[in-house]
Amino acid sequence: MNNWPGTTYGNEWMHKWLIRILRHTDVRILYAFVSVFVIPVCLMTCRSRGIAYRYFRRRIGMGRLKSAWMTYVNHCLFAQIVIDKFAMYAGKTFDVTVENYESFQHLASQEQGFVLLSSHIGNYEIAGYTLVSKRKRFNALVFAGEKASVMQNRSRLFRHTNINMIATSPDMSHLFEIDKALQDGEIVSIPADRINGSSKHIELDFLGAKAKFPLGPFAVATTRSLDVLAVNVMKTSLRSYRIYVAPLPYDKTSSRQEQIRQLSAAYIRELERLVATYPAQWFNYFEFWSEGEKQGKSE
Amino acid sequence: MEQLINDLKVKIKEALNLEELAPQDFDADAPLFGEEGIGLDSIDVLELIVLLEREYGIRLSNPKEGKAIFKTVRTIAEYIKENEKK
Repeated sequence: MNNWPGTTYGNEWMHKWLIRILRHTDVRILYAFVSVFVIPVCLMTCRSRGIAYRYFRRRIGMGRLKSAWMTYVNHCLFAQIVIDKFAMYAGKTFDVTVENYESFQHLASQEQGFVLLSSHIGNYEIAGYTLVSKRKRFNALVFAGEKASVMQNRSRLFRHTNINMIATSPDMSHLFEIDKALQDGEIVSIPADRINGSSKHIELDFLGAKAKFPLGPFAVATTRSLDVLAVNVMKTSLRSYRIYVAPLPYDKTSSRQEQIRQLSAAYIRELERLVATYPAQWFNYFEFWSEGEKQGKSE
Repeated sequence: MEQLINDLKVKIKEALNLEELAPQDFDADAPLFGEEGIGLDSIDVLELIVLLEREYGIRLSNPKEGKAIFKTVRTIAEYIKENEKK
């Protein structure tokens, strides 16, 4: 099962110090330090090395040498993205452009609530939350086990905004909150590529092999036949990001099962499009594809 | 109340496609979620919220009450009764 325990690496003390350092340091200095001293050690000791290598080799179809190099690049980019997140907490800003912003604006101007489906590619947190609307509250579903320092920084950053964090909970209270928000015509953002909480899932062809995706995000949207946008935020240079907004069409008059099938297929198409463009920004460091579980770890 | 409970059992079974479960096998006091009792998945609660709205015209106004309302078939029936009176 490709579920994920999910929390930002490091303890709260480390997070606080990272923010302090970033207040007075150019991110490029930290990028260089991490790339030279931290990532090589990480690659020698972490399980993510094999997972990333197999992703480049099997799913992207790269050769052995290129897959090994891209595994290093992928880890460096992941480190940069974490640094950028904390740089944002430290008050730094990045250049952000949006593709297809009008789709978001159109739905934000309607009475009905709608759903944003995100993924663990690029850096959703740094710019995804900038897709806010004055009319509609933006509710982001976040993992409840996240470190307190990360949650505090998020709360501080979004204190004066129209953004509300909904933490997942074993007592299902997040589902009631999500439904209430959608009934009230608000925006709800949910990651749709990791199984967390409910074990219900759908198995889909993704990058040429079967992978399990959580049923929850698709069930939330189709229960009330709501409009859905895929939103992904990709790092395009040292200091800039691009937000990709894509409407995910599905036939709202068809059966629930068919609606879920069509919606999940549209989500996968968009995810594949972005992974093809930014293969190094895939950050799901667990056995995502069913074949990884079945075939073992060779190659 | 018993009529409402039986009615709810049939509607829940239909909404969640619980074909293998006969309404008489539903214990009205068994937990709907978790390993003990009926064993519904948390995602199924979305269907129950919509069922309450569609079939009984009742909208869940306070998300904090959700867990207690959807604990068993009887607690759902009690919530329907309470809100029908209003």
